[in-house]
Amino acid sequence: MTRLTALLGGAFAVLVGLFLIAPVAVTVASSLTTTAYVTFPPQGITLRWYAEVFQKPEFLSSFALSVGVALGAAAVSAVAGLAGGLAIHRYRFPGRAALEAVLSSAFAVPTIVLGIGLLQWFAQMGLASSPFTLLLAHLVLTVPYAVRLVLAGLAGLDRSAEKAAAGLGAPPFAVFWHVTLPAVRGALIGGAFFAFITSFDDLTVALFVVTTDLQTLPVRIFNYMQYDYDPTVTAIGTLMVLFAVVAVVVIERFVGVARLFGADRDQQ
Amino acid sequence: MSTSVTEAPARSDVRRGRLRLDGVRKVLGGKEVVSSVDLETEPGEFLTLLGPSGCGKTTTLNMVAGHLTADGGVIEVDGRDITAVPPHRRSMGMVFQSYALFPHMTVAENVAFGLRMRKVPAADRRRQVAEMLELVGLDGMADRHPGRLSGGQQQRAALARALVVQPDLLLLDEPFSNLDAQLRVRLREEVAALQRRIGTTTILVTHDQEEALAVSDRIAVMADGVIHQLDRPREIYLRPGTDFVARFIGEVNAIEGTAAGPVADGYACTVAGETVAATPAGDPPAAGEAVRLYVRPEVVRISTDGAQGLRGTVRETRFLGSRIRCVVATPAGEVTAALPFDARVPAVGEEVTCAWRPSDASLAAR
Amino acid sequence: MAAVGRVAGGSLNRSGRRTGLLLALPAILIFALLFVAPLCTLVANSFRTQTGAFTLDNYQRFLGDPFYRDVLWNTLKVAALTTIGCLVVGYPFALYLRGRSPRVRNWLALLLLSPLLISMVIRAYGWLVVLGPQGPVAAVIEWFGLTPPQLLYNDTAVLIGMVHVMLAYMVLPLMGSLDRIDRTLVPAARGLGASGWTCFWRITLPLSAPGMLAGAMIVFSLTASSFVTPAILGGPKVKLMPYFVYTQATVTLDWPYAAAIGFVLVVVTTGLLLAYSRLLRRGGGEVVFG
Repeated sequence: MTRLTALLGGAFAVLVGLFLIAPVAVTVASSLTTTAYVTFPPQGITLRWYAEVFQKPEFLSSFALSVGVALGAAAVSAVAGLAGGLAIHRYRFPGRAALEAVLSSAFAVPTIVLGIGLLQWFAQMGLASSPFTLLLAHLVLTVPYAVRLVLAGLAGLDRSAEKAAAGLGAPPFAVFWHVTLPAVRGALIGGAFFAFITSFDDLTVALFVVTTDLQTLPVRIFNYMQYDYDPTVTAIGTLMVLFAVVAVVVIERFVGVARLFGADRDQQ
Repeated sequence: MSTSVTEAPARSDVRRGRLRLDGVRKVLGGKEVVSSVDLETEPGEFLTLLGPSGCGKTTTLNMVAGHLTADGGVIEVDGRDITAVPPHRRSMGMVFQSYALFPHMTVAENVAFGLRMRKVPAADRRRQVAEMLELVGLDGMADRHPGRLSGGQQQRAALARALVVQPDLLLLDEPFSNLDAQLRVRLREEVAALQRRIGTTTILVTHDQEEALAVSDRIAVMADGVIHQLDRPREIYLRPGTDFVARFIGEVNAIEGTAAGPVADGYACTVAGETVAATPAGDPPAAGEAVRLYVRPEVVRISTDGAQGLRGTVRETRFLGSRIRCVVATPAGEVTAALPFDARVPAVGEEVTCAWRPSDASLAAR
Repeated sequence: MAAVGRVAGGSLNRSGRRTGLLLALPAILIFALLFVAPLCTLVANSFRTQTGAFTLDNYQRFLGDPFYRDVLWNTLKVAALTTIGCLVVGYPFALYLRGRSPRVRNWLALLLLSPLLISMVIRAYGWLVVLGPQGPVAAVIEWFGLTPPQLLYNDTAVLIGMVHVMLAYMVLPLMGSLDRIDRTLVPAARGLGASGWTCFWRITLPLSAPGMLAGAMIVFSLTASSFVTPAILGGPKVKLMPYFVYTQATVTLDWPYAAAIGFVLVVVTTGLLLAYSRLLRRGGGEVVFG
């Protein structure tokens, strides 16, 4: 390849990179503006809008609700994913084929359709909106990923390792604890992380399940945006980006470890 | 294993590890994979289950280890019936083909695992692990993860992990098959030497006949779920009891003849009008019965002085380095001889006699 | 080696079946009560009138009304344009990534995935700012002395936002496809006298077709069914099916009709995804989901 094409390629990649970070970069920058409307480049620098966020109790309570539901989704997904993954990978039981079919089709159904389906089903069951119904609604989005990840983790486990542990005197639960669980640890952390992010981020399903008194953070922001154009939302956005960055850094550590295991297995 | 000679971990003087299988069966997927296997080891013996893929040897080993439950028969260790005992309550050290090291634990943690399960105090554990790692030549590798070890080192780690718990039996499932040829030979010698030193009864499963011959006290040749022959390597090699054993191990001259009767050093039979002798495998045949003689090329001697034996014409000679291969066309078919490199090489077309010591060949009814 | 069965305790016996069922129970309950039941309710409701009697009216209304036919058509159009946009931006980007060191690749892949890690709402809001009247794009246009056009609340805004989110779904399978191409093929063709362009058209492009196809399918069906980004960047003026599912369900409160639109959306998108998974099984490709 000539130097010109290399240069063009580099320039193009930079443009794509700019395109990818543009909305986030602009959001973060304009959160500092002193104007009462959102503008880029920002005019002057102030942290006023961050102070505004913390003076709006509805945002704080929505944040708390979102975190709570997301933590619940992460925990339930990890447990149900681990149990379900083990069941599918190791056992034959009635309903196994159906479970697998539903698992793969769950990805194909549009989230908005799940949302309206849940709305109508919950209404039919007489279930009133609560943090619990929100959690239930999010499980449909998160558990399939968790099961999938666990299945992938189990596929990478050498069954002889479990036999070896049993042969060395480990009772069944000890085999599970010391050998099986570590093998799917990366998958579990990944599944829980993914569940948290999905639940925390979800607007589509939540819109159908929430009420005016019970709004997750994305719903709160979405509704706020419809009427207000002040930089408070950019401040919240920046905080959420920070939150995501911290989460990614933390998970990168774990996933890094998981990758190390993967590399180890490759060498064996 | 390393050149430094270390004392083996203290073992009780009572010789233990007598394994007995009595009529053990296993059906998997509707097929009888193991059909009535009888076997008894001496304490401290190195016994090999040798056979081709699918012969039932690994299934047998897994039943001994408890990973599979026998569908029939009895498995005993030192007189104790363990047929229904789950694997974690048996005392078996097993080395797997894939080594099955725990990827998330260091070498030391891997080796310590069995001791932890036995609730050995931490200090004793550390000492025993260190001793064992030194014994297998892995001192200095204690804190590495298995993924950072070579194939040979992984194999030693797996061996250390299996031995440190001082098991009743050491079970080796094709432990050398993932190693390259040179390392395979070296490690199997090391394992055999170590086994002799610490005296743990050992069952090796392999499809590699050379490996079996090299390390075993006795070999059980298996095919289609049954043991065809259980004997010392020399007997298995020189005096195969069945057609399968003869053909599975090495090269063999299978010569058809008719039983004549016992002679001083064996049993005589008539082959194409000549009288030759061999040792009957099992019960001697009745006179006049159709038999097959199994003669290894290495035991065939070729002479031109008109001695007794199978007469024929040299068809081909070939220098193979360690041996000289000589094919003689006889009335009973071609007989191959593997002559020592300094033997007189007969000329092609020369009339020769093929002979062997009766004790170095076997015969069986066909 | 002889067949080695499952670990002691087996799984084919009755206690194994019970253990399996017990372990699978949470997942089975979740899917039965929160996936199968809602979808069945939805399908049943789509065949009902507001009062509950059986009817085909909802489907007739959707397919018979030119306005809603237009909605369906526009949904497919935006999805198709997004797919093309992802290909146009993603293909050169994937080619560029292919020649980079693993380090650079990892960083750029993280950049590529970053839109998926950031809250959908915030991401779309960011585009509101970028494309808004006080945003940088408008500023640049004004700097040239021109009057900036309306950049928001139209198909273009939706398109930009969707390409931004979907790019990763296109580039990842493409990279997989490109990585599988034997690296000696192009030098071999060059040696036979082919120009750089010919090599691209005759070798690289055809061999990366499976990745392109996989990426296109997933981008198309995800775009057709996405709600948040179009709702924020397009608003009511951009007529897309998910938006109408939402308004019918929560504003008009015509649940049976919302169910019918939703079901049509499912048929459109799952049809594509089914075709895609069949293709995957045949081609043996691998796709990373977000």
